[in-house]
Amino acid sequence: MNLYEIIQDTKTHYCLECGKCSSICPISRYDPQYSPRVMIEDALFGFEEELIHNHKLFSCLTCYACQLKCPSDVDYPLFIRKTRELAAAAGEHGDYAHSGTLQSLVGLMARSSIKQRRFEWFSNSYRTSESSDVMLFIGCSPYFEPVFEDIPVRTLDIAEASLKILNSLGIEPLVHPDEKCCGHDALWLGDMETFRILAEHNAAIIKESGVKKLIFFCPEGYRTFKLDYPNYVKLDCEVMHISEFLAQRLETEGLRFNEVKKKVTYQDPCRLGRHLGIYDAPRKVLASIPGIELVEMEHIREDSICCGTSCFTNCDSYSKQIRVGRLVEAKATGAETLITSCPKCQTHFKCAMVARGEEKGPEVEIEVMDLANLVANAIGG
Amino acid sequence: MAEFEPQIIAFCCNWCTYAAADLAGTSRVHYPPNVKIVRVMCSGMVNPIYVLKAFESGADGVLVAGCNLVDCYYLDGPVKCDAMFAILKKLVHILGLEDERLRREMISASEGVVFARVVEEMVEGLKKLGPAPFKVKKGAVV
Amino acid sequence: MEGRRIGVYVCHCGLNIAGTVDVEEVAKYAATLPSVVVSRDYHYMCSDPGQALIKDDIKECGINRVVVASCSPRMHELTFRNACQDGGLNPYLLEHTNIREHCSWVHEDKAAATEKAKALVRAAVKRVYYHEPLEVKEAPVNPNVLVVGGGIAGMQAALDIANGEHQVYLVEREPSIGGHMIQLDRTFPTLDCSECILTPKMAEVGHHPFIELLAYSEVEEVSGSIGQFKVKVRKKARYIDESKCVGCGVCEEKCPWKVPSEFEMGLAMRKAIYIPFAQAIPNVVTIDKDLCVYIQSGGKKCGACIKFCEANAVTPETLLNQSDQIVELEVGSIIVATGYDQFDPSVVPQYGYKKYDNVLTGLEFERITCAAGPTGGKILLKDGTEPENVAIIHCVGSRDQNYHEYCSRVCCMYGLKYAYLIKELTGADVYEFYIDMRCFGEGFEEFYKRISEEGIKFIRGKVAKVTDVAITEEEKGKLIVVAEDTLLGSMVRVPVDMVILCAALESRSDADKVASLFGLNRRADGFFLARHVKLDPVATPTDGIFIAGCCEAPRDIPDTVAQAEAAAAKALSLISKGKITLEAAVATVDEAQCQGCGRCEEICTFHAPKVISKNGVMVSTINETLCKGCGACAVACPTGAISIRHFTQEEILAQVGALIEV
Repeated sequence: MNLYEIIQDTKTHYCLECGKCSSICPISRYDPQYSPRVMIEDALFGFEEELIHNHKLFSCLTCYACQLKCPSDVDYPLFIRKTRELAAAAGEHGDYAHSGTLQSLVGLMARSSIKQRRFEWFSNSYRTSESSDVMLFIGCSPYFEPVFEDIPVRTLDIAEASLKILNSLGIEPLVHPDEKCCGHDALWLGDMETFRILAEHNAAIIKESGVKKLIFFCPEGYRTFKLDYPNYVKLDCEVMHISEFLAQRLETEGLRFNEVKKKVTYQDPCRLGRHLGIYDAPRKVLASIPGIELVEMEHIREDSICCGTSCFTNCDSYSKQIRVGRLVEAKATGAETLITSCPKCQTHFKCAMVARGEEKGPEVEIEVMDLANLVANAIGG
Repeated sequence: MAEFEPQIIAFCCNWCTYAAADLAGTSRVHYPPNVKIVRVMCSGMVNPIYVLKAFESGADGVLVAGCNLVDCYYLDGPVKCDAMFAILKKLVHILGLEDERLRREMISASEGVVFARVVEEMVEGLKKLGPAPFKVKKGAVV
Repeated sequence: MEGRRIGVYVCHCGLNIAGTVDVEEVAKYAATLPSVVVSRDYHYMCSDPGQALIKDDIKECGINRVVVASCSPRMHELTFRNACQDGGLNPYLLEHTNIREHCSWVHEDKAAATEKAKALVRAAVKRVYYHEPLEVKEAPVNPNVLVVGGGIAGMQAALDIANGEHQVYLVEREPSIGGHMIQLDRTFPTLDCSECILTPKMAEVGHHPFIELLAYSEVEEVSGSIGQFKVKVRKKARYIDESKCVGCGVCEEKCPWKVPSEFEMGLAMRKAIYIPFAQAIPNVVTIDKDLCVYIQSGGKKCGACIKFCEANAVTPETLLNQSDQIVELEVGSIIVATGYDQFDPSVVPQYGYKKYDNVLTGLEFERITCAAGPTGGKILLKDGTEPENVAIIHCVGSRDQNYHEYCSRVCCMYGLKYAYLIKELTGADVYEFYIDMRCFGEGFEEFYKRISEEGIKFIRGKVAKVTDVAITEEEKGKLIVVAEDTLLGSMVRVPVDMVILCAALESRSDADKVASLFGLNRRADGFFLARHVKLDPVATPTDGIFIAGCCEAPRDIPDTVAQAEAAAAKALSLISKGKITLEAAVATVDEAQCQGCGRCEEICTFHAPKVISKNGVMVSTINETLCKGCGACAVACPTGAISIRHFTQEEILAQVGALIEV
């Protein structure tokens, strides 16, 4: 696909240059050099070289805030994703966070002959079954643990909480030892070769296992399987986020939780919210736990603000300021805990709280917890 | 078919292990040519990405070597290197890499012979293990 | 990255390289690599004609990056950097790769060695592509020097520098300089009187036009870096007018309030207003605020000193209103000579220190034998009689897994000195309980031999206990030293009147605070760590800060003096150069990328990164004079904001990626 086709494909040529995108963009709010409108203008003027070598191309969070406000329905995040394909082909990439360790791990996972040891963390207290028709997708969580050891974020806690939830519902899911990264980051960074390999691999193992339902605790994996895989591979199973699954079960089975006394606020992850329109399910789950008081932030649902980083790229000063701003908003609600249903939101928020120097920035310390962990606590036992 | 010759990339700190490799040279201590050294100022300078990149680019084994704590020019570089290395070990373990492919050594400037021996051991071990699993390029599925 | 023109130079090094590596082939291969415009091989690249090749190509072929494949960069990197510079190219645009020590000398297979050499050159070419010119910066050196500690080490260092006519500030926390040495009676092995050799030096320090003595003062804060330290010193209030006090001592005589004297190791009393010892420098009185009834009563009681001071140095004003002063100094280098503490043997309960009257430490015994000491130099028991037999126990707290594993280096010799003095002054029987006799210094062994011949009894064995529980008639009323004589393999019980414990020298109890104040590191045993134990023994991890004397490790006086002079020489050489060259390959922060998390600040051993608030945003900044370019911060940095110049991730990844041909 060339730039011309990308423009047509994403309706970029309908741009009215009204600037609504730039005024809503969380990056533009802090980074004066970044403007979606200018990016689009560059594309429409045909400045292809400038565009693909502009490293701000990798700043976009693809949070979809702009697209929802655009009067011409320009799909700016998709425009960015496609343009990044051109950039990647020209050898460009953004500024990788963590020195590119995560991108490298994804690349290595895409090598066909590896035999991963994904489940050494796995505790015997959870019941799984190789013949189950429900599969829980664990994704990159085992890799995140060592990388984010010092924050500290324990993404596998979310995996364990999800297993506990499923077990308590009488489900012994399949956890697949050969599962690989869903390819979300590769896709959004324009590395299509890696994405395709990963998608084909995952589709093949899922097909082979014969599962009918695939449950995610990570909205990125969920979005990738639900919206992106169908364009590349055939997948014969239903995909769901655990919050959706829980909301459904609340209705059908009248689930009961123990009381958890907590005042919480909720962060809508971009992938779950604006990408897939799931705003009510997690709130329904929160409302079903006795003792939980939900106090909403100023910006919620469609107006929610991104956790500030995407694809572990261009995680810069502006990204930090977005996160700090969001945490300040969360604290302002008076909630003691910020609930989210995305492991990456949790990681990015907790990372923003790290302050190891002598001089400290604004006070943004607040407990951050995944919805799955809260539910698992409410199940007790 | 020719015998499999493993490729090893060694990250060596300027003050100790790089100097030890120099000493192996001046003392004409022979060792197999499978190893290629990247000079870093301190073992604490070795970023996990350097090691991952070495595997990505086809290394069968990687050696991270620097000073002993008592010799460190930067005082506690080895401590920092160890911390990095612990994380790295966990990552490549999950990726399914055999433990022997990633080695951490402390070799002081006077230990040219030790450097040569470590290389010999690694080459021998890696010949038994065969090529690293990452060697197969992207493409084939499952 | 346009306009890269790389020149590659492959050295034969006679047959040293060419004997194993096909050098011409490597050069031919290099010519095919991207951006390489010139590739040559030459017999000896380090020779003048070899270097001229580089210089000429810079001018004639317009090369702007250079790769030399020859010996170790540890050998000739500087040579080729200079060649680049002479040719008009920034010296940091060179990449030197090692195909001799790491290739031709260690491999036999010619084909394999040649392939390896090619790979190394290929990787060097990839890496040099990303090299950027670096500016070598210089900073001026303030010629003033701060010396911390007024013992023999500090005094010697101060005098050496001051004699070179450079300003020295000597800070001592006690009321007088002199340190432990002025407490000693005689010095081994020559037995010259410590006071006699030290007081002239103290006086010289006190009067030296280039030494400003800040006694009764402590360093509070050190900032800045080599060449330009800023130091805050707290000058503690003496509650007298120092400029008026003549040290006559009348006030001290009249003062009615007493406590045990620190200088006399508690064996005599001192007053609330006091001069710690007769030859104190500065010779002025100090008032112990906590003890002074006038100060404590707010001027309502006592006031004897005010009444008797003819010089008007002590007044109600000085007593009630004087407070500590903060003195700010600017210096280019600092010598830390903070000395040692004597190990407290009361933590070894079986030796009965503080339980039995006549169990003494070495320093207490020094005061007892000193003519100016509490007993007027007579060796007396607590009851005022002379001992008939004395045991000297070596290695108390030293060479002991339970306390300090190290040897304190001076105890064997001072133990021998005590034996000699006891024998000479009292004729008592002396028993030396030792593990090994370590008499390694100049004249030490001879002294040992001389003492051995004087009828001193040497018992090889570590003492198990000292007790007053007698089991025979002969032991009654005595202290019994119980040990195994390991040479005889039998238990011995030696009844004595006095036991002297050769207590270990240990690091100062506040060494941790001093270490963090000056950016020093401590060894496991608590003493300060030198930059290199063998080859850089007075330098420390912090450039411009040197250590001397017993704060580095236990040592005797001659070694301390030598080390102090070495530290002074280091400071003087810095002054004489007048400027410092800053490491160019140091850390740098991309502020737009930085999130101010402070991981860099946390991990750096040298305190180079510091997170500050810039327009309300937290960002890290690097103090380039402190940064040593070790790269730890760049690894710790989660965002990639920090990189190490000349060792950037881009450079190293390019090199790594090119080492293996696929």
